[in-house]
Amino acid sequence: MVKQSNGQMAIDLHNVQKMYRGKVHALRGIDMQVHPGEIFGLLGPNGAGKSTLVKIMMTVVRPTQASGTMLGRPVGHKPTLGRVGYLPEHHRFPQYLTGAQVLDFYAAMANVSRTERRRRTAELLDVVGMSEWANKKISSYSKGMLQRVGLAQALMNDPQLVLLDEPTDGVDPVGRREIRDVLVRLRDEGRTVFLNSHLLSELELVCSRVAILVQGEVAMQGSLDDLTSESRRYEILILGSPPGWVKENADVRHEPVGVDRTRLVMQGAEPGPVQPIVDRLRSDGTTIVSLQPVRENLEDLFLRAVTDPSTGKAYKPGAARNGGAS
Amino acid sequence: MTQFKAMLIDAYRELNSRKLFWVVLAISTMVMLGYASMGFDETGISYFFGIWHVDNDQIREGSPIARMLYRSIFSTFIVGIWLAWAAVILALISTTTIFPDFIAGGAIDLVLSKPISRLRLFFTKYLLSLLFVLLQVAIFCIGVFLCMGWRTGEWNWLIFAAIPLITLFYSYLYSFNVFIGVWTRSALTALLLTLLLWFSTFGINMAELTIVQIQVGTQLSLEDAVDDRDRFVASLNRIEDTEDNARERAGLQGQISHKEQAAAESKELLEDLDPWMKRIQAVKYVFPKTGETVGLLERWLKRDTDVSFSDIMSNNVTMNEEGDLIPARNTRDRQAESRTIEFYESRSMWYVIGTSLIFEFVMLGLAAFIFVRRDY
Repeated sequence: MVKQSNGQMAIDLHNVQKMYRGKVHALRGIDMQVHPGEIFGLLGPNGAGKSTLVKIMMTVVRPTQASGTMLGRPVGHKPTLGRVGYLPEHHRFPQYLTGAQVLDFYAAMANVSRTERRRRTAELLDVVGMSEWANKKISSYSKGMLQRVGLAQALMNDPQLVLLDEPTDGVDPVGRREIRDVLVRLRDEGRTVFLNSHLLSELELVCSRVAILVQGEVAMQGSLDDLTSESRRYEILILGSPPGWVKENADVRHEPVGVDRTRLVMQGAEPGPVQPIVDRLRSDGTTIVSLQPVRENLEDLFLRAVTDPSTGKAYKPGAARNGGAS
Repeated sequence: MTQFKAMLIDAYRELNSRKLFWVVLAISTMVMLGYASMGFDETGISYFFGIWHVDNDQIREGSPIARMLYRSIFSTFIVGIWLAWAAVILALISTTTIFPDFIAGGAIDLVLSKPISRLRLFFTKYLLSLLFVLLQVAIFCIGVFLCMGWRTGEWNWLIFAAIPLITLFYSYLYSFNVFIGVWTRSALTALLLTLLLWFSTFGINMAELTIVQIQVGTQLSLEDAVDDRDRFVASLNRIEDTEDNARERAGLQGQISHKEQAAAESKELLEDLDPWMKRIQAVKYVFPKTGETVGLLERWLKRDTDVSFSDIMSNNVTMNEEGDLIPARNTRDRQAESRTIEFYESRSMWYVIGTSLIFEFVMLGLAAFIFVRRDY
């Protein structure tokens, strides 16, 4: 198990701003908190500033303004990066190296001792299923293989915090499942995983908390349960039209489904208030086709976040220009 | 130290993966074999390990000219042409992609995200990029040292001075290459502009040499004219001013006036050349002294004589009364050549290396500034 810091956030960002030359305001005051030992998902449309935010944390991009901490040290503190693993999007390893040499080189750059490097290289190549390719040149690897080696590379320094930018990009479904398992194992070991991905279904499966960036700002942030609590409801599908008492009940919404069915919708996450409704429907002799608890999935949440409520249309992709929202 | 070792091993692997590194090494080996194939025996000189033999009284086993010839081939041809031109061009072609590849998106992210400062990363990468030339020249010099010892019995450690000098010379050009490469991210632009810089320095050097040679020639003409005039004035003073001597005196006066005119013309030319020389020297001051840096090796290697390779090849060498080797050319040519050499050799190490290093530091400073400040 990885030793946890006393009550401090793994990532605690305040007012992170980035204005690129040409007045592209990529980040407009990001506040974000990632708890230790959780898998945190960062999502957002193209150009929302996700990669810029990750790069700022990894000192690849210099922020225009930033305060906050990463593993308890100020953002940009170089020695702290020795405890952080990172897999960039579209990473490019030197083509003249083998998979094992890649792991060894980047681990050495993170000041990992030689003995430890040897041990972890063999171990992690095995974890990502690349042991047989260890001594083959990177130039012969497929995209999926590169991602696997990239993930192993990010774990070579036994990091407390792992930032992964699109880790399943180009990976087949089996590989994705394996990567997901690795992430869960990292979380179980007490490590913090910060995941930036477009694959909402992937994120939904592993993330305990998410943040959605839209045009350089955090549009939503929290646990999936919290973010979807308002959307939690029960849906009862019945045959025929709704009984008269349903139409008079303000807590039950009804809508026709097809020609002979009706959906009854009751807001709330608790099953208690649903019971009397079900009882009355049955006593009326109404045929209940199905009853299910429903909540927004991550895709619904995402679409809600990227939609302008005033127009009902999605925000234009990309960052804001000149400091204003487009 | 772990990071430095990792970058060192990586630099070696990178070189190893470049075919041109091995091509240059193969050509170097062939040049070295060619050098080693030349030998001396009691009757003369042999080429290609004895396949072709030329009888020669002066160039034979144990003779000082043989040693001089062998040394001159190294300093004039091998260093001057192969190491300082051809090998450097090949090295530039091979290494020009190092920095643009290093800062390419996806590659740089991986190293910048490690606990190493950008400045340290930049300078370590730069120094290790010089390995290409350092290794090539080091291997080559060991070979030449052994060949020279074997063929002439002279174990000249000064040969190893070529290692720092050629690396230094290359580093002047490579610093500019890195600056352009980091700035534009284009390996091709960096290569082309570096070659342009190199040819510009070559052009400036040639312009300076031409003016120096004209100045030296004119200065010698002026000195001759003044000497001749003084001689004619002395002769004139010895001849009594009588009617019988009038014709002779008139002749001498004519000669004096002719020499004074020649001296005045020479002075005028020197005065005309002076501002051009100052301009060229001002421009040259800020440029790296590529030729003169490599020239230091030749300066050190042939310090014991002013016999040149062409003197030996054209059999234009003789011995003076003290038994030293001297070129058997006319005095005027020797004077002109020795004054030109004196002009260049009067330049201090500070001028040759110091000002070039300032150029290199400025280029590296600019490149480092861009590298450190840039968002990737």
